[in-house]
Order: sequence, then C-alpha cells, then structure tokens
Amino acid sequence: MSEAGSTQPAERRLSLLVTVLAFALPVVFVLVPLAIFLGYSFFSVDQGTIVYDLSLGNYVRFFTDPVFLPVFWNTIVLCVSVAIICILLAYPAAYFLTTLKGRWRYALLMLLLVPLLMSYVIKIYAIRSILGLNGFLNKALVALGILQEPSTLFVFNMNAILLTLTLLLIPFAILPIFLSLERIPQVLLRASDDLGASGSQTFLRITLPLSLPGVASAASFVFVLAIGDFLTPQMVGGISGFTFGRILYSQFGTAYNWPFGAALSVALAVVVIAAILVGERFGRNRGTSV
Amino acid sequence: MGLKKAFLRLATIGLGIGLMTSAALAANLRVLAWDGYADADWVKDFTAATGIGVDVVFIGSDDEIWAKIKGSEGQDFDVFAVNTAQLQRYIKADLVSPIDVTKLANQKEVLPRFRDLTAVSGVTKDGKVYGIPFCFDSIGLIYDTDKVKPAPTSMSVLWDPAYKGKVLAYDNGEHNFSFTALTLGYKDPFNLNEEQMAAVKAKLVELKRNVLSFYTTADEAQQIYQNNDVALIWANYGQQQVKALQKIGAHVAYVNPSEGALAWLDNWVISKGVRDNAAAEKWIDFMLSKKVGGELSERTGFGNTVTETGSAGGNDKLVWLNNVEDPLKRSDMWNEVKATP
Repeated sequence: MSEAGSTQPAERRLSLLVTVLAFALPVVFVLVPLAIFLGYSFFSVDQGTIVYDLSLGNYVRFFTDPVFLPVFWNTIVLCVSVAIICILLAYPAAYFLTTLKGRWRYALLMLLLVPLLMSYVIKIYAIRSILGLNGFLNKALVALGILQEPSTLFVFNMNAILLTLTLLLIPFAILPIFLSLERIPQVLLRASDDLGASGSQTFLRITLPLSLPGVASAASFVFVLAIGDFLTPQMVGGISGFTFGRILYSQFGTAYNWPFGAALSVALAVVVIAAILVGERFGRNRGTSV
Repeated sequence: MGLKKAFLRLATIGLGIGLMTSAALAANLRVLAWDGYADADWVKDFTAATGIGVDVVFIGSDDEIWAKIKGSEGQDFDVFAVNTAQLQRYIKADLVSPIDVTKLANQKEVLPRFRDLTAVSGVTKDGKVYGIPFCFDSIGLIYDTDKVKPAPTSMSVLWDPAYKGKVLAYDNGEHNFSFTALTLGYKDPFNLNEEQMAAVKAKLVELKRNVLSFYTTADEAQQIYQNNDVALIWANYGQQQVKALQKIGAHVAYVNPSEGALAWLDNWVISKGVRDNAAAEKWIDFMLSKKVGGELSERTGFGNTVTETGSAGGNDKLVWLNNVEDPLKRSDMWNEVKATP
C-alpha cells in the first residue's frame, strides 16, 4: 500500500515532466524563433545597425518595389512547374514499383532513395558539370546527332534550375505516391476486375482517385522544398535564373539587412504554409472517404 | 651510460620547461594575425634573433579582429594585421598607435609603390602613419590565352560582344560597382553620387547580358571553367585563382587593367594597448625582411611589399580597396541588376 503510494507521485511527476518537455521543445525551438523572426520583420536598418522601431516599411517595400513581386511570382511558377514535372515522372515510377513482387519492390525503392544519402552540394556540382557546354548531356546529344553543336540551353538559366531541382527532389515525390498506391486494398482492384472493368477503367476510377492524397502531399513536399532552395538557383541559375531565394539570401549575407530579409521570409512562409495546408486538406479529404 | 643519457635528457627537458615559463612571464609579444602571416618558423627565427618571445592568435574574419581589439580596447594585443579598408575604423576608435617609420630599417627597402606611405591611401591620418603594408593582392583579369587575342589591357573587354556567354563575373555588388566605376573612368570608385550609381547600374545590366554566370568561390569558377567555354574571368581571388587554373593545365594569363585594378592590402599595426613598443617595431621590421616576404608569397600566393611577385608589375595601377559610400544600397542595386530580365 505504502509502496504504491510512493511510486505513484514519482510516476506522475515523471509524466508531467515528459508532457512539459513535449510541449516545451516545439515552443522553444520552433515557435519562439518564428516569433522572433516575425518581430524582426518590423525593424529596419540604418548605416549597418538594426533600428528597433516598429514599422511596416519592409512590407511596403516588398509590395511597391518593382523588383520583388515579379521575382516572387516567377519563383512560384518555377516551383509549381518543378512539382508538376516531379509528379509526372514519379507517378509511373511509383506505380511500377507497386507492380513488383516481394523483395524486388523494396530493393528498387531503396535504390531510388539512395541519392538522398548524398551531400546536396556535391549533387548540384555533379549535375552542373553534366549540364555544362562540355558536359555529358551535350556530348551525348551531339554524339546521337540530335544536336549539331553543344548547346547552352541547359545551364545557367531557368531551365537549368528546373532540371536540377526536379532531379534533386524526385525521391520526395516517389515516396508518398508509392505509399498511397501501396495502401490501396487489393480487394477493390479485384472487385473492379470481377465486375468487368478494363485495366484502364480500374486505374482511372479506382487507383488514381485513391492515390491522389499521396500525389497531393508529394506535390506540396516538392513545392515547399523547391521554393526554399537558394543554393541550386545560385549555382546553376546564372544570369537569368534569378529567384526569390537568392534575394533572400543576399539580405542576410552581403546586404546585412536582416529585417528586410525577415519580411521577405514571412512572405515566403505564407506561401509555404498555404501549400502545406492545401496539400494536407486535399490529401485528408480523399483519404477519409475510403 | 644509459642512465647518464636519461638524466641529461631529463635535465634538458627541465631546462626547456623552465625557459619556456620564464619567457612567458617576461611578457611575450602578443600578435593577432591571419593564418599564413605568422608561421611558426618565422616566429622561431624572430625569437632567436631578438630574444623576444611571441604569442600568436589567429583570426578568421575582419569582424573577429574588430571584436577582439575593440572588446579589450586594444589591451589584449601588441601588434595585429588589418586591411586598409578596415584600418580607418580603428584609427577613429582610437585603438591603434602611430608608428615611427624611422625605426623600421627594412621599410626603406620595400617596393617603390609602398615606400612613400602617404601615397598609400588608408594607412595614414593627419600626417601620422598607422599601418605598415606587407601583403596584398590585386583583383585583375584572367584570360584564356587561346581564346582572347590580342591580350586584353582593360576590363572593358568583359563587355565585348565577341565574348558573349564566355565571361565569368563575381557575385558581389560592392566590388562590381567599384570596378565598373573605374572602367567608366570615375576618380573615386568607392564614393559614387546618384548619377554615377545609375550609370554604373546600367553598365552592369549590360555586363550581365555578356556573362555566363556569377561565381562566388574560386573552386566554383574553376569547375565552371572546366565544363564550359569560358574566355574571361573577373579574378576576385587573384593569383591563387590563376595558379590553381594553371595547375589543371588551363592556358590562362593574368593582367591588371590599365584603368586600375582593385586590390586589397594588409598592414601591420600597433595597438593602443601595446606593452613594449620597441618589440612591436622589431616584429614589423622583421616581417618586412626579404626572406619573410619571399616566403610569404611562396606559401600563400599573395603579393608581398618587399619582393616582386605576379600580383602586380612595377607600373601596374592598383586601387586599394576602401569602404564604400553605402554597402546596403549597392547590394540592393546589385539585386536589381540581377532581377532585370
């Protein structure tokens, strides 16, 4: 009796501690930094030092300066394109994986995910040398007779960013699509077959709708990762591939204008949060209707 | 026999430790410098020649020097290295002492362009010398000798449509505004008025259309050079960059443009809190010796102020980097240049 009485408060204290920690970690490491960030976006900079007076100047500048909105919009279009291309390429790949039996399925899936183990920067370097004028892609196209002479179409422009981001982010699209395809109960497909539906009818009316949650989360993953990236545009974007991430980066580096950089980040965060919400909502609706 | 040897060794070690502690007690010279500016063998030679012990602390950025010197109001170090663009800030904050150049015998033997220190912008104030130049490099032009003929003499070649898409420029607003201002013939590239800024910006938009890409690190430029058709590189990393390219077999040469090349210049300065001024002077004089200068260039690839190096020929015009009128504005305008379609 007395024993049980003494362990119970200790246990309760422990569980209280765990609860506090569980709440404290995200608050301290996520919410507080975000709040500080938001706070900074209302400050300004004068002669290289931050002025701690609240103003909306940074946001006014973002919406009125002719530089930022066009770049912002172009970047969003670019990242939506990356997401679409990733989905178009990843869906068949994921679908193919689900048709494989047993061990092969996971062995191939692992192979597709291996690039994630490599350093991001090294991958960009490698892709850049492939895309270059003397690079593998040009050499191959010329050797095959598709091009007369090496082309500069593939590197140091928007195409290069599009290609590189697609290549880097495709594993993030394959995984969620694969998981949603794998979760589709085989009985549904067999029932469809029993009722006389053709292969394409089954795909269009059963498989595709049921896999859309995976597609939605894949698209939002890729979009969010692409729009937050500044290194890829910096390294392969050249002179015409100027993205919002590069502007943001410069505010924290050379410009030393943290408040304005914070305001630009808030604008970016709004878009990112919207993308995540859309992806999540779309995904959940379809998911629960099964 | 063996025992005697062991004894002797022990005694020597003991003596060594004793000497080391006594040297430390007798107030060593405290040096703050970039890696490569106070190599161990020079320090050893200096101590052997003068009997002055030296404690070296290495730093990794301009901000770090400022933090260390300003943090102790100069009391923690006797002598330190700082570039011309930074030095005026230290003078203004009263953190450095004037230097009596007559005490530096080797200063009379330096390269002609460094002999009259009043002609070196940034190292003097009110007629007093605060910095002794000892290491520099220019930001010139690297060109591919197979592709660029005749050899260029001016940065204006970067705008030549013949090299469209074969130019590598550097991704930095401050430097790009300065060198373009020099190319346009402006006297003071670090203090541009509104009208000049606008002209430079327009010129940079033109440059952008001739450029393949903007690089940030020397490695990056080299990789782009290897995989693409590059004829001209605006060489932010000067001699180091040329040598690295030549090492991989590239046919490249280096030139300082006739309108003047931007160049950084590091100086030895004596801090306000110096404990032994004579020792600090001896250190600076020692660093200006032909031996140290030559070895410095050999090891780092930078130019020194004592012996001729590839960084600059005797008649090359060098423009020592200085603080610009408004770094933030230059950075913003550089973003505008990059955002221009």
